[in-house]
Amino acid sequence: MNHASFSRRNMLRRMGAGMGTLGLASVMADTQLASAASPMAPVAPHFAPKAKHIIQLFQAGGPSHVDTFDYKPDLIKYAGQRPKEVQLKTLRNTKGNLMKSPYSFRQYGQCGKWVSEIFPYTAGHVDDICFFHSLYTDIPEHAGGILMMNLGHLQPIRPSMGAWLVYGLGTENQNLPGFVAMSPRSQPRGKLANWQNSFLPGVCAGSYVNLGSMKPETLMRDLKNSQLSLSAQREQAELMDKLNLMHLQRHQHDAKLEASIQSMELAFRMQMSVPEAFDLSKESKATRDLYGPGDYAKGCILARRLVERGVRMVQLSLSIDGYDIPWDTGHGNIVDGHRKLAVASDQAIAGLLKDLKQRGLLDETLVIWGGEFGRAPTSEGTKGRDHNHYGFTMWMAGGGVKGGYTHGATDNFGLRAVENRMHVHDFHATILHLMGINHEKLTYRHSGRDYRLTDVAGNVAKDVMA
Amino acid sequence: MRRPCVFTIAALVATVSVAAAAPPEVAAPQKVAAAQDDENRIFFESRVRPVLVQHCHKCHSAKAKKLKAGLYLDSRKGVLTGGDTGPAIVPGDPAKSILIGAVVYNDPDSAMPPKKKLPDQVIKDLTEWVKIGAPWPDGAEPEVTEKKIPQTIDWKRARAGHWAFQSIRDPEPPAVKRSDWARNDIDRFVLARIEAAGLSPSPEAERRTLIRRAYFDLTGLPPTPKQVEAFVNDASSDAFAKVVDELLASPHYGERWGRHWLDVARYSDGFGGFNDKAALPGAWHYRDWVINAFNRDMPFNEFIRNQIAGDLIDDGNNAIGTGYLAVGPTYKSDGGDPDSKAQALAETIDDRVDTVTRGLLALTVACSRCHEHKFEPIPQADYYSLAGAFHNTAVVEKPAVPAEVVKAFNDGQQRVREAQKKLNDFNSRIRKAKRKPNNEEKQRIDQLKRVLDQVRKKAPPKYPTAHVCRDTGGSNMKIAIRGNPRSLGAEAPRRFLRVLAGANPPLWTKGSGRVSLADDLVDPKNPLTARVFVNRVWMWHFGQAIVRTPNNFGNFGQEPTHPDLLDWLASRFVESGWSIKQMHRTIMLSATWRQSSSMNRRAFGVDGNNNLVWRMNPRRLEVEAIRDGMLAVSGELDTKMSAEPSKNILGDKRRTVYGIISRSGDAFSSDAFMRLFDFPGARGVAGLRTQSIVPQQYLFLMNSQFVIDRARALAARLEREVETDEQRIVRAYGLLYGRGPTLDEKRVGRDYLSADEKEKPRLTRLQRYTQALMISNEFLFVR
Repeated sequence: MNHASFSRRNMLRRMGAGMGTLGLASVMADTQLASAASPMAPVAPHFAPKAKHIIQLFQAGGPSHVDTFDYKPDLIKYAGQRPKEVQLKTLRNTKGNLMKSPYSFRQYGQCGKWVSEIFPYTAGHVDDICFFHSLYTDIPEHAGGILMMNLGHLQPIRPSMGAWLVYGLGTENQNLPGFVAMSPRSQPRGKLANWQNSFLPGVCAGSYVNLGSMKPETLMRDLKNSQLSLSAQREQAELMDKLNLMHLQRHQHDAKLEASIQSMELAFRMQMSVPEAFDLSKESKATRDLYGPGDYAKGCILARRLVERGVRMVQLSLSIDGYDIPWDTGHGNIVDGHRKLAVASDQAIAGLLKDLKQRGLLDETLVIWGGEFGRAPTSEGTKGRDHNHYGFTMWMAGGGVKGGYTHGATDNFGLRAVENRMHVHDFHATILHLMGINHEKLTYRHSGRDYRLTDVAGNVAKDVMA
Repeated sequence: MRRPCVFTIAALVATVSVAAAAPPEVAAPQKVAAAQDDENRIFFESRVRPVLVQHCHKCHSAKAKKLKAGLYLDSRKGVLTGGDTGPAIVPGDPAKSILIGAVVYNDPDSAMPPKKKLPDQVIKDLTEWVKIGAPWPDGAEPEVTEKKIPQTIDWKRARAGHWAFQSIRDPEPPAVKRSDWARNDIDRFVLARIEAAGLSPSPEAERRTLIRRAYFDLTGLPPTPKQVEAFVNDASSDAFAKVVDELLASPHYGERWGRHWLDVARYSDGFGGFNDKAALPGAWHYRDWVINAFNRDMPFNEFIRNQIAGDLIDDGNNAIGTGYLAVGPTYKSDGGDPDSKAQALAETIDDRVDTVTRGLLALTVACSRCHEHKFEPIPQADYYSLAGAFHNTAVVEKPAVPAEVVKAFNDGQQRVREAQKKLNDFNSRIRKAKRKPNNEEKQRIDQLKRVLDQVRKKAPPKYPTAHVCRDTGGSNMKIAIRGNPRSLGAEAPRRFLRVLAGANPPLWTKGSGRVSLADDLVDPKNPLTARVFVNRVWMWHFGQAIVRTPNNFGNFGQEPTHPDLLDWLASRFVESGWSIKQMHRTIMLSATWRQSSSMNRRAFGVDGNNNLVWRMNPRRLEVEAIRDGMLAVSGELDTKMSAEPSKNILGDKRRTVYGIISRSGDAFSSDAFMRLFDFPGARGVAGLRTQSIVPQQYLFLMNSQFVIDRARALAARLEREVETDEQRIVRAYGLLYGRGPTLDEKRVGRDYLSADEKEKPRLTRLQRYTQALMISNEFLFVR
């Protein structure tokens, strides 16, 4: 997409109310020069988008699909056996037999979707959810798997999906970052690599906020001046405007100097707008009750506040006990670890879906749930499950996907994706499509060729579009 | 891992209508064969071809929009030749046939069709067809279009077909009308094009602007008011040449230009995040080596040879130069999965290939890792020919101190070991006797312990080491089919790129081949190395390169704006013995470089991108120059060179080049600061740094402790040095901008400094004023 040049008037429009706080807009000469405007400015998508924002509820560590959303009655029937079909190599080369889920399942909603007992709140929204049961990825390791889900590549050398979205679409609020990543205390494995801009412009990178502290200063460095009150700062900023203006008059028609002046003014305003977005005390008790207690609930409310204010993408990672791949507790024991994680997030997720719907935001906000891979239907030890990259589940809600719908399937035991198989690249292509982007056309020229989020692959699952 | 197959939406799954083949009639023997053929034909046409057409041809036929896996399933030849992973079928042997393995969904990665497994009956039919020898009636061979078959490359033609692959010429400077404007031949090349466009060059910048530009260009620091005044008042004709020479002799020059090179060398101190998270505590020896090489004006060809093979040439005296390769990322797998391990190694080698080829040759050889290059005459085999040199190279630790220091350390350790052994032997003798030591023995043990303590204390500390390369073998690599390191094809002999060295380049037979690689890189017949580097030098002087894609001179890169000038510069460069300092003189003494950056509406209308170089490009300072410049004007800069990197450069007063750099860009608090002002990621060769302008930069400039501390220090300096507000304003302008304030500027300053204080802020008016001056555009931009 073309960020290269546009008229100054257009630039002002794009930057919204960025100018004028300090009364400088009127004194600057109108020019037709190529502008060095922010790459964050909104850009029209390739075609009419279904969704404008993304909230990704990232579940690092590999949640077990057969114990959550991909119900497999055959696991009960054949428990204790090891049929030929499941003799695929897992990461730790486990040789266990089929293990039935320790949880009971029942059907929910109009669509009659079977959901595990550990997600009772989320289950109440199955008619808004589109399940993807046929995901698969390249390797059964967390590091590579997490990067694949976030960057579309196994090594930390490409931009994150959120960075691609900010690059491709810009963002609607110039006073907030376009891409925000959040988690309670522990970042998912890989840390900032998961939200990096790589070769894209720096402003495309995800800004991270730790939900444990909830300090906006951690989201944006140097957001507060430790020495000056706002009024003293305003006086100083006015001085700078005068100095810069005299300088600009000597070097007329320099777009970079103008952009620099605007940036200074925007920075001044951000000092107020960012803390406001993070102020959860503005939320009613009813809203806070809807999301329930805990850090993940805070994160979900905040995610809604951010997309409400025009942030393009929010990634909210689940983490408890400071563990960077929390769902990996599934190795030793599915029953306790998975329940604990579900309890920590279920009500908040359901609350988010309901709240977005109430506010009319669900239609334009795509909510995505899932991790980097799933877990095997066979046992590891007596109670656990090893990694499974042959087949796993993701789900989406809102943002133009069909509710109460299921795309693809794993085999009868839940080991391999067999129907409408969907690589992570396909999943990304589908997400971009929902955002109005042709994934083959969102490219960036770097080191001699055009790069894409979907590399040289990716097929859009058209059947999931509402 | 590259996916072995790229899936596309398969045809809708539908039941295949199967016309039952008629039972064969009994016939005479000579007719049996014909009848059998007929039966096979019917079987093929009714049960096999429809399946192939419906489920496979979308991706595997001459009609495919995008052929996948190089596989054609629309002819028997295509099926037997197969694609990237070999023949699709082995007639008569379904078990060995990839196609059958794919349709039975043996391996999810190559399961076909991707969308849904075929019905069991269809799979049975395909299996049967292979079993009976895969009959395919004649006359049904589709035309395969030419362009889809990879062509063998005619190397001479490939080289002749693109400017950058042709030998460097030494063109005559063109005639110009305004020859009085030209100071040297550079100017003739530039002026000829400006005149051809009907434009005029810009006049020379005024002296204060010129000297500030020269200082930032060559040292990354602003001139002091004294230096400015000396130059402004120097009436001699070579006044500016003297300034350039002084700056080239300054040790700060190497800090500035060494850092430029470190951008190309994707330098970091390790910490690449997971999969590549190791620290490289000795990386800074390479950083210092680079700085020294620039300060000594090491000829560029030697500079390159030392970085590729310094451990193998010249008695290893410049082995630290191989840090160029050694401080690159070394990827690991975190779970021991074999695919992941192989992929991590392949990624590591890819870094070396990419760094060397884009950095030194401006060629995107890394594109050929998975397939023949789509735009350049670089076959996949050539990638693995180069990669072979790095596959036979390991990173090892080498003492970064003289041999005596190493020996002293080893001797000390030897003494420790001996004392320890004496003590151990004595103890074990008593233990063997299974008794407690008597008093006399206790005294002896104490004495031995004391001796051990003493030699330990006396032993010299461990010396620092640098990361360098060492050869580990001399084998060739095999081509990784579709980039999958677990799927290997033909062997690629180690040798240079054929597009540069001809159809049969000499093989690299010595060790890993790095010495030969180094020699091939700086061979005067190689058309790229000199061109690529002088283009970068030009870029760092003008903020815009002659070839706007400094890392890509290939067909997909940009053409030079001044091809003759580029070749002229490259010729002078080689002629001067590859002297970088001489190149600076040539460029900076030209009238072209000395032009003003002032706007010219007419020229801008014709050539807004300044392709013709009708003016100097105004530029925002790089992150290093912003930080170092602030420390310089506040009088706080610590000019100590060569040392371990500072863990937090914002809490340090040394130059920014001595700050630690993580490859991940997020390991240290100062990383975020560096990135904020467009410091390039250390994961690949950087070209021209971007100059983004974003509000977050101003949050740093307005609110960070670092800038506030500099403002305080500058205010203190002003208070120390002069008395009145008026004098302080004048002095501040001199220090920051190299000029005096205008009347208006003085008035604005006085008004601000003398205004009533409504509250009691923690910064004085003077401190707030110096901060404003320090973060205003005039300081942040050079013109």
